[in-house]
Amino acid sequence: MRHIGLRPSLVVVATLLMGSSALASAQQSREGDWSMPGKDYGSTRFSALSQINSRNAGGLHPVWSFSTGVLGGHEGQPLVVDNTMYVVTPWPNVLYAFDLKQEGYPLRWKYRPPVSPNALGIACCDSVNRGASFVEGRIVYNLLDGHTVAIDAATGRQLWSTQVADLAAGETTPMAPLVTKDRVIVGASGGEFGIYGWIKGLDLKSGQVLWTARNVGPDADMLVRPGTFRPPYESGPDSGQHSWAGDSWKTGGGPVWGSVSYDPQLDLIYYGTGNPAPYNSEQRAGDNKWTSSVLARRPGDGSLVWAYQFTPHDSWDFDATGTMLLADIAIGGKPVKALVHFDKNGFAYTLDRATGRVLVAAPFANANWASSVDLNTGRPVVDASKQTGASKGNVKGICPSLEGGVSPASPPAYSPRTHLFYTSINNMCMDYAASPAAYVKGTPFIGANTPYTAGAGGQMGGFIAWDASTGRKVWEIKEPYPTWSGTLATAGDVVFYGTLDGWFKSVDARTGTILSKFKVGSGVVGNPISFLGPEGKQYVAVYAGIGGDWFLLSGDVRSDDPADVRPPADFLKDIARHTSQGGIVWIFGL
Amino acid sequence: MKHIHNIRAVLLSLGVLLLGACSRAPAPAAQSQDSSPPAIRYEAHIAAGGQQPQGALPANPMAADAAKAQAGGQLFTAMNCDGCHGGGGSGWVGPSLADGRWRYGGSDPEIFDSIYYGRPKGMPAFGGRLGTDGVWTLVTYLKSLSPKEDVATESWVTH
Repeated sequence: MRHIGLRPSLVVVATLLMGSSALASAQQSREGDWSMPGKDYGSTRFSALSQINSRNAGGLHPVWSFSTGVLGGHEGQPLVVDNTMYVVTPWPNVLYAFDLKQEGYPLRWKYRPPVSPNALGIACCDSVNRGASFVEGRIVYNLLDGHTVAIDAATGRQLWSTQVADLAAGETTPMAPLVTKDRVIVGASGGEFGIYGWIKGLDLKSGQVLWTARNVGPDADMLVRPGTFRPPYESGPDSGQHSWAGDSWKTGGGPVWGSVSYDPQLDLIYYGTGNPAPYNSEQRAGDNKWTSSVLARRPGDGSLVWAYQFTPHDSWDFDATGTMLLADIAIGGKPVKALVHFDKNGFAYTLDRATGRVLVAAPFANANWASSVDLNTGRPVVDASKQTGASKGNVKGICPSLEGGVSPASPPAYSPRTHLFYTSINNMCMDYAASPAAYVKGTPFIGANTPYTAGAGGQMGGFIAWDASTGRKVWEIKEPYPTWSGTLATAGDVVFYGTLDGWFKSVDARTGTILSKFKVGSGVVGNPISFLGPEGKQYVAVYAGIGGDWFLLSGDVRSDDPADVRPPADFLKDIARHTSQGGIVWIFGL
Repeated sequence: MKHIHNIRAVLLSLGVLLLGACSRAPAPAAQSQDSSPPAIRYEAHIAAGGQQPQGALPANPMAADAAKAQAGGQLFTAMNCDGCHGGGGSGWVGPSLADGRWRYGGSDPEIFDSIYYGRPKGMPAFGGRLGTDGVWTLVTYLKSLSPKEDVATESWVTH
């Protein structure tokens, strides 16, 4: 299929011809727009635009930039809808609306919410925000302090604000909501604070909370309704309670800090849960269901339909909050409605998204805590010498590190043209010394010291192309630093990612050859998008602004506070030579 | 559950230390010699006209007590301070407490106020949980940390 400069007017006509019943899929059919974090409900991050292709991408250059005025890790991505670009900043979570029809893209409005600075002391991992969604003239996103807000896209005025999370309990809300035609799905961070993890469904029009489902605990709290829950592997009633020693599930974590995907045909939302609390796993014997798992629920009422646990009794902080990418692929020649997930634990999984059954599981990064995943039981084959806990002292040389084979904050992309999945990776290992942790509400509940080293080969990051049908790496670009950006795939067979030391790169999707690179002023921890400008030209946009876990780990990138002066991290001594904090929106074009 | 008992043992022994301290050192309010309001001021404030506001700053009853400093190090972990400020207070999502620099003042009573009452941008108030003696123990630990001499310069070139 040729895609030559699909003009916006043709896109609108095509949308109208598909009829009003296609409203949900119309979200995905305006190829010149980017209206939700993952481009579509399957989170493929694939743009069908192809003016930029592997022959001309070498000519990509910056055409516009804007300083957000905010420091802090710029995760997430802009949106473009109806020739307006929307940007949410890290705390204090300003929402900007840029007019792409006017030279210089001046603002139409900016929304500056009231948001509590106390959130900065409860968010474990920097003041990040993972983005907004645009649905029916509303922009919906989370403030860090536990509020979900809806803003009128025409005027920039707040339509509703709902408190969904409790800061005093250690809950914050950096994640990007999933918004369907009538539901807003949100979750909270706080696995480091021993929260009683949850996900909620709000009414899109009113913002009212319609259902709250816990990710651990008894069936009643988890919204396991009789006859509905069919996990792919055995588990009994109250699985979220019986798999925990005593009452440890009450402070068991299971946060939701990544994204949510949605299959409208199966009527299922899919999301990953984060780590069990505390990091010292000896305080919570048992599998600790359903932390470090993928859960499939009905968006209407939150009922749990199936769940699969990637890392039972997680003893390494292997949050499963990374993207659940929904793609229809062929395995052994047969079509499969698949869910592909690159887990922190270093394994890439291909599941049947109707049932949760594991079809393929293979390491995509250096992993030695487990040798394989048994496809009959779904369970990893754990190396007992890599088990951690307070009685085990310092366990050395576990791979991947606590940052994961890939960060859940670095979403992958899929190209239906190459049939390949693309993702940033980390190549790091760790020592892990657990110690007893005391639960004090509103303070961290951790109990581990985990220094990092580079993995085999010495380079600490990379960017790979992956075949999820066979569980095989197809090509790899090695990077000196952990690679923390999200990925964009396009129909021009160009994929895009950014590096921690501030390079934004375009790559030939088939060969892994780097086609262009530009130093964007600060490390890239956000996700590139592509869109059509009003004149019908294709552009790519991305944030620059190092942060997220790197604000904690490489605190010497900080410059703005003379009272907070840190030495470099032992394992990353020269990152601050190449980047400090920043906050810039970039647009690139041919 | 051996390790839960160990936490209790640590906290109990700290409690004994704290009770012992209580009988020797009164709480801050009792230390003021007159009826001056408690002075909660930042080292860095400019005094208009050069006139400092009046008030009594409580002294650290455990100042330079090595045993208290060590107990404070254990309390720093037990209260999860390291979860935000890093092991040894070297900095994490919360600022470094080991760089000799203080956003809200580095005298003992100023650090006391930061921990007891909390501070902007997310430092919780620990006074209700720990009481004055627990907080002074932490202050004593933090003041025992010695920042390296040249905190200010980070260099990647050799001369």
